[in-house]
Amino acid sequence: MPALSGVERLSRRAFLAAAGALPFSAHAFGDASRFIPAIVKHGGRWDVRSSGLRRLAWELQRRTSVEVQLEARPITLDSPRLFDHPFLYLSSDGDFPPFTAVEVESLRRYLTFGGFLFADANDGSDGAGFDFALRRELARVLPQSPATVLPSTHVIFKSFFLLDSAPGRFLNKPSLEAYLINKRAAVVYSQNDVMGALNRDVSGTWEFEPSPGGQRQRELATRLAINLVMYSLCLDYKDDAVHLPVIMNRRR
Amino acid sequence: MESFDTWKLVSLSPLPMVALFGLVLALVLGVGLACWGVRREATRKRRWLLWTLRVLAGVCALFFLLEPGLRRLQVARVKNRVAVLVDRSGSMSFPVEPRGASRNDTVATALETLGPQMKALEDRYAFETWAFDPELTPITVDGLRTTPPTASRSDLFAALRAIKAGDTGGARKLSGVILFSDGVDNADLTGGLTGRPKQMLEQLGVPVTTVAVGKGGLTDLAIDAVKVDDFAFVRNSISADVEIHGRGFADQAVQVVLKREGQIVATKVAQFETNDETQTVKFTFTPDQTGRFVYTVAVPVYPDEVVAENNTRSFALKVIRDRVRVLLVAGRPTWDERFLRGVLKQDANVELISFYILRNGTDNSGAFDEPRELSLIPFPREEIFQKKIDTFDVVIVLNFGSEDQQVSLQSFRDDIERYVLHGGAFAYLGGDRSFGEAQSPINPFEKVLPVSTAGLASLEPFVAKLTLPGLRHPITALGTGSVSSEAAWAAFPPVPGMNLTRAKPGATVLLTHPTLAVDGSPAPLLTISELGRGRSMAISTDGTWYWAFPSHAAGAPTRNYERFWSNAIRWLVRDPDLTTLSVTADPASVEPGKPVGVVVVARQSDYQPAPDAKVSVDLIDADDGHLVGQHSGGVDADGMVRFEFPPPPAGAYKLVGRATKDDKPLGEGSDAVAVRAVGPELADARVNGPLLEEIAKATGGAFFDGTSFSLSDVPLREPLLVEVGRSKDQPLWDRWYWLTLLCAILGLEWAVRRRFGYI
Repeated sequence: MPALSGVERLSRRAFLAAAGALPFSAHAFGDASRFIPAIVKHGGRWDVRSSGLRRLAWELQRRTSVEVQLEARPITLDSPRLFDHPFLYLSSDGDFPPFTAVEVESLRRYLTFGGFLFADANDGSDGAGFDFALRRELARVLPQSPATVLPSTHVIFKSFFLLDSAPGRFLNKPSLEAYLINKRAAVVYSQNDVMGALNRDVSGTWEFEPSPGGQRQRELATRLAINLVMYSLCLDYKDDAVHLPVIMNRRR
Repeated sequence: MESFDTWKLVSLSPLPMVALFGLVLALVLGVGLACWGVRREATRKRRWLLWTLRVLAGVCALFFLLEPGLRRLQVARVKNRVAVLVDRSGSMSFPVEPRGASRNDTVATALETLGPQMKALEDRYAFETWAFDPELTPITVDGLRTTPPTASRSDLFAALRAIKAGDTGGARKLSGVILFSDGVDNADLTGGLTGRPKQMLEQLGVPVTTVAVGKGGLTDLAIDAVKVDDFAFVRNSISADVEIHGRGFADQAVQVVLKREGQIVATKVAQFETNDETQTVKFTFTPDQTGRFVYTVAVPVYPDEVVAENNTRSFALKVIRDRVRVLLVAGRPTWDERFLRGVLKQDANVELISFYILRNGTDNSGAFDEPRELSLIPFPREEIFQKKIDTFDVVIVLNFGSEDQQVSLQSFRDDIERYVLHGGAFAYLGGDRSFGEAQSPINPFEKVLPVSTAGLASLEPFVAKLTLPGLRHPITALGTGSVSSEAAWAAFPPVPGMNLTRAKPGATVLLTHPTLAVDGSPAPLLTISELGRGRSMAISTDGTWYWAFPSHAAGAPTRNYERFWSNAIRWLVRDPDLTTLSVTADPASVEPGKPVGVVVVARQSDYQPAPDAKVSVDLIDADDGHLVGQHSGGVDADGMVRFEFPPPPAGAYKLVGRATKDDKPLGEGSDAVAVRAVGPELADARVNGPLLEEIAKATGGAFFDGTSFSLSDVPLREPLLVEVGRSKDQPLWDRWYWLTLLCAILGLEWAVRRRFGYI
C-alpha cells in the first residue's frame, strides 16, 4: 500500500492555525461564490457530523481550487434560503421523523431544479435506523426515481480523485446509491458514514477509526467526499471526451 | 378538287323504316305459317318442294316491298396537313461537323431539297412549316436562313402537343409530323422518353417522323453538372461532384479549378480516355464561415471548342451552423459554472467543450502518485488558444485570473484578440479573480472585453436593472415585448454583488446596478460590443446562478435563465434571425441574360419592421470587388423592398445592403448570387439521336439520322374525308323479269299445293 503523503493528525489548535493561513483572496467576492456546505435540520439528530463537514471544507480548500466557507450552515427544508445552498448534507445516527408536506415539496423542487443532496448513514444502518427513514422520505420526495446503485464507472468516482470504492467510517457497502433525475444524480446515499471518517471530537482528535482500513480508509473517505462535492459543482465534466483517454489510461 | 363517280345499293321505298320493318316481319310470319301448314306432308320430297316454293315467293314479295335501286354518286376528297417542325433553339446554331454549316442552315437546305417532293404530293397533303422556340410560329425556308436560332431552351414534347392541339377536327386533319432537331431537349424529355410523356406520345394519334440534324465529332469541353447540396455546415467538409463532358479530348488531362469568389479552393485533374466521355471530379472542401457564397468550377477553353461559355459553372452554397461550438473555461469550479454548464449541456444546438482549473499550483492534493490517483489533465492552453481556437464559435470564460504560470493565459492575449477580430465570439463572467482588486496585474482578455476595471467590488445584493437598449435587445428579451422583459428581469432574485466596471467607448450596456454609479452612469452588469468581425460580452459578477437556481425557490418555475443564455449565444454567433437587416438574393442562381433580384428586410433594434427605413444595395463582382450596380429606396410597411439589377455578365456576385432610419444606421447585410455562364441549351453540344428515334418509335413514325431522306419513306395517314356532290337513283324493282318471276313462283306453288291436295 503506497504511503500517504500530506495526511497527518492535527490538533484542534494546529487546525485552526492552519485554517487561518489558507490563501484566501484579500477581497473575497462574498460568500455567494464560495462552496458552503449546508446541513439539513430535521427532527432527529441532524448535527452529529458538523465537524466532519468542516473538515471536508478544509480539505477542499487545501487540495482543490474550490473556494469554501468552512462552517456548514444548518438549514431546514422549508427555509426560504434553501435554494441559496445547492449542496445539502443530510445525516443522522438513527431514525428521524417524517418530513412535513411542505418540506417534501420543497425538497422535491430543490432537487428537480438542480440541487444536490448527499445523504450519509452515520449509524451504518441497513434496513433500520437512518437507512429506513431516508428511504421512506425519499420515496415521498422522488416517487418516480427509485434508488440505483452507482457503478464504479460513474463520473463521481473520477470527478477529482480516481476511486474504486466508496468507503466511509465503515465499509458495509462497496458502492453508493443514487436517485437520478434526467441522468443526473440528484441524491447520493452512502451507508458507510463518510463524514464519520472526517469527524473530530471536541478535543480535536479523530472521533472514529475507520474499519477495516484505518488511516488509508480515512484518506479514501476524504477523497470520496471531495469527489462528491466536485460532482455537485462540475456534474459530468470528467465524462467529457477530452478526459476519457487519459482516465482510461490511468486506470489500467 | 378531284371528282369521280361511285354507286351504292339503296332502298327506294317511300315507307318509313318502322313500317318497312313491320311489313317484313309480317311477310316472314306468313311464310313461316305456310311452311308450318305442310309440316304433316308424309313425303319428304313434297314437303321440301312446298317449303322451297313458299320461301322463294316470300323473297320475291320482299324484293318488291323494299323497292331496291342503284344510287350513283359524284364525290371529292380534301387533302390533309403535314406539319414540318424545325427546332429553333440555340444549339441549332452549332455546326453539323467541325467547320461545317450550322444545323439550322442544314435544315433549310434539306427543306429546299424536299420541295419538289412536297409539290408532287400537294393533291393530297398541305405541308406547313413551323418553328418552335419553344412556341410554335410559322416560318419559311428564307426565314430559317435569315434569322439565327437563339431560343434558350428546347421542348420537343411541348411542340408536338401544340401541333396536335391544332388538329381540332376541322376539314384538314393532321396526317403526320416531320421533326427536324438535334434532340437536345432540356424540358420534359431531358432524361429520355419515359413515363407520362411517352404514354401521351403513344396516344398522339399521328406518326411523327424525326430527323436528327448534326453529327458527333465536335470539340467541346463542358461542365455538364455540379452535384452539391444546397447548404453545408460550417467547419464540416462537403463534397461537390463535377461532371465534365469532353468531346474530342481523347487521352488528354484537363485541369479543373474550384474557386470561391475569386480565391482558389482546390484543383483537380480530369483524365479523358476516349473522344466522347464524361468524367466526374470530386472536390471536398471545408467552409470556414457561415453565410452564402458563390463557388465557380472552371476548365480551360481550348481552341476549336464549339462553345466556350460552358467551360465554367457557378453555384451558390449556403453555409450554416449545425451546432454552436462553445468553449467553456472556468478558473475554478463554482455554482455559476455549474448552472451555466447545465444550461449549455441541455441545449441540443450547443456542442460544449469545457476546461476547469480544478487545482491551483499551491494546492496539495494529498496524493502520493498524482498521475495515477488523480483524474486531472494538464490544461492544453497552446492547443486550444493557438491551434484550435478558430474552431470554436463562442469562447466563454468564467472568473479566470491567474498568475499561476501553468494555467495563465497571458501569453495568448494576441491569439484571443485575433480570434475575436476575425469573427469569434467571447463572453466573460467575472468574479473575484477578474475585475476589481483581485484582478491579475495583466488581464489576458483586456483587449477584447467591452469593459475595464473601475474600482472595488460591491458585495451588497441587488436586482439587475434593464437599460434602455436592454429593453429591446435580443439578449435580454425574456418576454414578448419590452414590458414583459422588464417584468421578467425584475422578478429575478437579487444577485449577491458585482465588480465595478466601466463600459468602453462603443460598448452597449444592457443591465446595470440599480443604484451604484461609475463616472456618473449606472454601474454596468451586462455589457456587449462589436470588435472587428466578432462580438464580445462581459458580466461583472459570477452570481448569475442566482437567476438559475434560487429563482425556482418560490412561485411558478421559469426558463428565463435558459432563455437568457440561449439569446446570448445566438447574438454572439450572429444568428441570422437576430439581424436587423436581411439581404437575400432572389433567386440565388440566375440564368444568363436574366436580371439579378434581391429582397431586403429592415428591422428596428427591437426587431419590429422598420417601415421608414432607407435601404441601399450594391451589386459587387465577388472576384475583383468592383461595383457593378447600385439601388436605393424606401421599404414598405413590412420593412421590405425588392430591387432588380440589369443582367450582369456571368460570374459570382455579392449583394451588400445597408439601411438607415432617421439617419441612424440599422445595420448591414449581404448575400451572394451566381450568374450562370450558359443556360442549359448552349451547355450541351451533342446530338441526341436516340431520343429522336424513341419519339418516332412511340408514335409510329420513322427516324432518319441525317437530312438525306425521301418523303416516300415518311409514314403519313391517308386523307379520309369524302365530300358528296350530285347523286341519281335508278330503281331496280320495276323490271318486268322480276314481276314475271314472282308470278311464276306463286303460280307454281299454287299448282303444286292443289296437286298435293292442300287446296
